Amino acid sequence: MGPSGSGKSTLLNLIAGLDRPTAGTVTVAGQRIDMLSETGAARFRRCRIGVVFQFFNLLDDLTVADNVLLPAQLAGTSRAKARARADELLAALRIERHRDDYPARLSGGERQRVAIARALVNRPVLLLADEPTGALDTEAGEEIGELLLDLNSSGQTLVLVTHNPEMAARYASRTVRLLDGQIRGDAEQVRGGTAPARR
Amino acid sequence: MTPGPVVRAVLGGLAHRRAQTAVVGLVLVVSTGTSVLALGLLADSSAPFDHAFAAQHGAQLTITIDASMATPAELAATARLPGVIAAAGPFAEVTIGLEHGVEALGPVTLAGRPAPGGPVDDVVLQSGHWAAKPGQVVLSAGELPPGVTDGTQITVTGVPRRLVLTVVGVADSVTGSAGGWVDPAEIASLRAPGALATAQMLYRFRSAGSTAAVRADTAAISAALPAGAVTASRSYLAVRAQSASGIAPIVPFLAAFGVIGLIMSALTVANVVSGAVVAGYRRIGILKGIGFTPGQVAAAYTGLAAMPAAAGCLGGVVLGNLLAVPLLARTARAYGVGSLGVPAWANLGVAAAMCCLTGIAAVVPAARAGRLTAAQALAAGRAPRTGRGYAAHRLLGTLPLPRPVTIGLAAPFTRPARTAGTLAAVLLGATAVTLATGLSTVLSWVVDGLTHAAAEPVQVAVPPASAGAAQRVIAAALRAQPGTLHYVAEADLRLSVTGLAQQVPVTVFRGDAAWTGYDLISGRWYSRPGQADVPSGFLTATGTRVGDTVTVTAGGKPVPVRIVGQVFDTGSAGLTIITGWQTLASADPGLAPDQYDVGLRPGTSAAAYAQALSTKLGPGYGVGAKDQNSRLAIVLGLIGFLTLLLAVVAGLGVFNTVVLQTRERAHDLAVFRAVGMTPPQTIAMVLCTAAATGLAAGVIALPAGVALLRCLVPVMAADAGTGLPASFLNVYQGWELAALALAGAVIAAAGALAPASLAARSPAVTALRAE
Repeated sequence: MGPSGSGKSTLLNLIAGLDRPTAGTVTVAGQRIDMLSETGAARFRRCRIGVVFQFFNLLDDLTVADNVLLPAQLAGTSRAKARARADELLAALRIERHRDDYPARLSGGERQRVAIARALVNRPVLLLADEPTGALDTEAGEEIGELLLDLNSSGQTLVLVTHNPEMAARYASRTVRLLDGQIRGDAEQVRGGTAPARR
Repeated sequence: MTPGPVVRAVLGGLAHRRAQTAVVGLVLVVSTGTSVLALGLLADSSAPFDHAFAAQHGAQLTITIDASMATPAELAATARLPGVIAAAGPFAEVTIGLEHGVEALGPVTLAGRPAPGGPVDDVVLQSGHWAAKPGQVVLSAGELPPGVTDGTQITVTGVPRRLVLTVVGVADSVTGSAGGWVDPAEIASLRAPGALATAQMLYRFRSAGSTAAVRADTAAISAALPAGAVTASRSYLAVRAQSASGIAPIVPFLAAFGVIGLIMSALTVANVVSGAVVAGYRRIGILKGIGFTPGQVAAAYTGLAAMPAAAGCLGGVVLGNLLAVPLLARTARAYGVGSLGVPAWANLGVAAAMCCLTGIAAVVPAARAGRLTAAQALAAGRAPRTGRGYAAHRLLGTLPLPRPVTIGLAAPFTRPARTAGTLAAVLLGATAVTLATGLSTVLSWVVDGLTHAAAEPVQVAVPPASAGAAQRVIAAALRAQPGTLHYVAEADLRLSVTGLAQQVPVTVFRGDAAWTGYDLISGRWYSRPGQADVPSGFLTATGTRVGDTVTVTAGGKPVPVRIVGQVFDTGSAGLTIITGWQTLASADPGLAPDQYDVGLRPGTSAAAYAQALSTKLGPGYGVGAKDQNSRLAIVLGLIGFLTLLLAVVAGLGVFNTVVLQTRERAHDLAVFRAVGMTPPQTIAMVLCTAAATGLAAGVIALPAGVALLRCLVPVMAADAGTGLPASFLNVYQGWELAALALAGAVIAAAGALAPASLAARSPAVTALRAE
């Protein structure tokens, strides 16, 4: 958590292997990802990491199903297996009726659900979400927040970036506060509490 | 309109879009260069002979006189005939055999001239000096055998005593009045005992612009001399036609390549320039946002395309001229006209056409951009228009291919207009490749058909002094020599044919000669006495057809000869007869072979065979192996080079399209990378986008190229004054067609490789952050 320009998204991009540190190292799930080649980083990302962006970043010329299937197809998962997993996720996220629609026809909340389904299709060990409710209205934001909470409760490790202290208090079990690229706080808390406890 | 901000916007844009600027410049360099080269070659293809003829005061008529029948005074009087504006001669002449080492150089006509200059046929000395005393010879550049240079000593054959001449110079006569020149005092010693004493007279006339006019001039000269004094005549029109027959066939090919080059350039330039403007929409929005008027925006974007285009045009003109220099220099050297260059009108015309084309290509989208509101331009520049290509994505997504491949294959459908422009440019490039491949094969066959180098690569000249014994020696040596497949004796005569003014070369074979490599256009090869085959030129000149009978005069007797076949041969402008020994032997009992033609077993080296045979036969027997035709090498080189240039233009068009696509789709590419697409997968996806367009272009280009070849080759043959065997149009093998169908894909993939690699390497996070 932190204000704009504090380095939240940069941190997330470093964890995802989308960016490289100018100094220091990045170790995720025991693997030094700053040492990986571009191809190695891409393979690491598609097998171990799922990323959800603030503006969804869906591909406009692919259907919902094709967007969700894409990481599995890139990873070489068999067609039947990938389809089964995509169907399972679309059903779980309650967007199966939009299977063959294009993203432009969906609401913001629905688009973010598709993005979450896409991020989960390869069963990542870590799900990264960069301001996942930032582009949604309050109601859709609530829905996505609950969805992420459910995923976390079911065992999915989740790193969520937000500038909203209320959201952090409501959904996070641990909050790291950033300011100007520096860690200014790291606290575990009980979800739904009002003030993160300082460590 | 204030120029300051516009100029600053142009300069800023050029600095910001360096790749785009470089592509516009490069496309213009290559396409302008190609067009200048093609147009320059076209323009100069007919000029050298006329330039040289004017410069050398070429002889419009060369006549050979029986010196015993006309006195010098009678000959001098012909110079004063009405219509004659200049005359030179008489120059005594003699036709002799020459040898260089063990190699016989064939019969050469030498003229005795005291000096190279004169009012007619001003011979140009290319090296050395003129033959000033007996024992010296100046050889014609056109007759110069390989290995013979100034200082070389050559032996005269067929004369009673051994005579050696030293080559002291190389000269050129545009009308080919002689194969060499010696001091006039030398001629008598070179003439074989009992041989007819002949001399040549050279004329220029007031009116000699047509065959009829030259014929009338010849008749006037003949009438002024005693009957029978004129034994032969040669018109400069025949020399010019023969000279043009070497160049004329490549003119249609140059024209076709020039037209293809211009259309391709137009398409590529339009695609590149309009693409550059479209890619700049976001910047246009910003410019309008800060107060640029529509006119300023249009001017800025026209300037953005015009500046690199103008530089490219200039570079292209320089490139075209530089490329033309070595190609034209050879022609210029051959005609002794100093230097030939691309005409100024060709340079100016191509540069002006290219600038206009670029201007039109830039102004239309720039004006459209100028009319957009700032908000519209910003929206249009942020992302490509969506809604296109959905069906293609859906359909291709069902194919059992890797996902990056199917996404790449569907991408061209999102920008149909740009794809169509790229497809058309690649189509033309692939058409040029298909045409060039077929043309190279046809030309190789044509040269093989004309030189017979494949069928009879080795010739053995029969020494004239001991013909009977020599024939037996040669035949025995050929039978014994490993590698001999066939051999046949050949006599080369010049005989009169009823209805033709001049004598016609007649090739007479003793034995089966069907293997000697004459390709049949129609009819069949002669099989009985009294039958002959003739080239198209003979049929045209005599107005005959296959099945007709002509009368030749051999040994002073008329011999009827039935034409049974039309063969492919342009030697002597196609005015020759090929027949068997029995046809003429009874009329001319003295008929004797001049040479033996030898066919070799597959895998036998002609050079090694000729060397071994020469060693076996010893000195006095000229053994020669036909080498590669240098004119063919030049034409094949030209075809290859022009094809390469056209393929480069097409490749640059693809390069530009892919650069635009990867820029427009930078966000999508970043998303692909974010969800795990590896750099090789990204490259494969981008390459498939280009290759799909290229493959489609290649598949369309294949029948287009084949059809163009089938149209072009008969036109080229007609310009060379010959028909063509039907087999010469079936040039493509199955595997070649399959490979050529991929030409478009290869061109496109080559053009797309660099931007695809760049797209795969560019950091995804930058594009995602821009969101």
